[in-house]
Amino acid sequence: AAPFRCIYRPLWRVITGSGRLTVGMRNISFTENHFSATNHKTASVGSPWTLHGAVCLQRLPVISQDRNPIEEEFSGLMQQMELERSLLSDHELRLLEDAARMSRKQEEDYDSDEEEDYGDKEIVTAQDLEDAWEQKLKQFHPAQRSNGDKLDVSSSERCLADSLVLLIKQDVGSQKVWLLPQVQWKAGETLRQTAERALAHLPADVKATFLGNAPCGFYKYKYPKDIQKEGSVGAKVFFFKAVMCSPNHLPLEKNSFAWVKKDELKDFLTPEYLKQVNRFIMSL
Amino acid sequence: MNMAGIVCRTLSRVVSSQTSCCSSVVSVRHSHWFTSILSPKTSVPLRAEPKKKKKVDPRREQMMKERLKKKLKKLERVPPELIPIEDFITTAKCFDETRVREVPKLSFEETERRALLLKHWSRYKFSQHQAEMAEIKEALEAQRQALEELKIESEDLYKAAIGPDTDLFPFQHQGPCYTPPIPNYEAPDGKYNDITRVYTQ
Repeated sequence: AAPFRCIYRPLWRVITGSGRLTVGMRNISFTENHFSATNHKTASVGSPWTLHGAVCLQRLPVISQDRNPIEEEFSGLMQQMELERSLLSDHELRLLEDAARMSRKQEEDYDSDEEEDYGDKEIVTAQDLEDAWEQKLKQFHPAQRSNGDKLDVSSSERCLADSLVLLIKQDVGSQKVWLLPQVQWKAGETLRQTAERALAHLPADVKATFLGNAPCGFYKYKYPKDIQKEGSVGAKVFFFKAVMCSPNHLPLEKNSFAWVKKDELKDFLTPEYLKQVNRFIMSL
Repeated sequence: MNMAGIVCRTLSRVVSSQTSCCSSVVSVRHSHWFTSILSPKTSVPLRAEPKKKKKVDPRREQMMKERLKKKLKKLERVPPELIPIEDFITTAKCFDETRVREVPKLSFEETERRALLLKHWSRYKFSQHQAEMAEIKEALEAQRQALEELKIESEDLYKAAIGPDTDLFPFQHQGPCYTPPIPNYEAPDGKYNDITRVYTQ
């Protein structure tokens, strides 16, 4: 079976012509032609790989990131330039008028009857308005941007400015390994349903939206020789991306769950696994 | 002339008396087609009674009226006034001279700093763009390879994976703000007066 597969794989790729990737314009449109030939394996009964479905659950950022020094400088410059090129607004004109009126009042030969619109009403200067607005703003207390380093790796409130991925510690063979939640595929269901099942198996109740039916990546590994049964040489894991809808505050076990940024992944995952997973987890 | 007339008459009398005895032909004189030679030459239609113009005139008058009405309507039909696009009209406030801001003159160092900062920024943004494009390309490549592997494994699963996801759209997600949301926060009612101008044609 294996050598046959190696021969016809390049052939069908030449004939079909794989999908076009228009990367330069940032629109992710992916089309693949369906190649239906007579000599094609339909069932996975004969394949020696067991299939698993895994879910890459992401909590997207909740607050905006802090600016780099270059970004700070540039934003300051942009504001300065905009101010220089602008016209005076109504509020600024009013401020200037009030200042002029004040300076006229300070003079000795000031006659209040000369004022045109003065009358008997109280003057609410623009400065007073500004102060009133400041006071009102101070009454509102927004939530803090950064929680500091108090929070644990297992809390989903960790780094609010980055997107986090959920990892769990599972038994693979005889060892406990950190990986994305995965579950073995059952016959009769699609791989996406397997991934949904993997999500449901987590103790925390999360609502997540799966982004499409297609897997975003895969990882295959061979079982060690003593475990290799007759039918299975190893396992193939297909990853599906999901986005967490509502923030959940349920605490998870510290040792078996982790919400992790992209750069922290290397502390948890094995190198081979990490190499495949890093491809589709984006830190944008 | 009188003599000639008298002669003609006596002659015609003679002729008519002769012919009336002989034949049943009606005498020439009694028919309206033939008048006397001496009277002016006129044709029968000219000498006939004037016609009563009943139907044709009202019709013609009506046609004239209709034509006049149509012309009036054309003149009165004004094209509907176009609704002005308020975004394209610069308000009079912008041309007010009292609003011109006093701009301090920039020193040489300041202009230099600005030029260098703009160049630095363009380089930074370019490298950021390259990094983003590379990441997206990598992710797409990973997906393509995953689908290839799936196809090798099983055709049915591959077909299910390629099929469109109907539950995905419309997709909604709250984007990042400056501060995180406060739990159980009641926002105050925002009262506003809507002063948008509504135009009718």
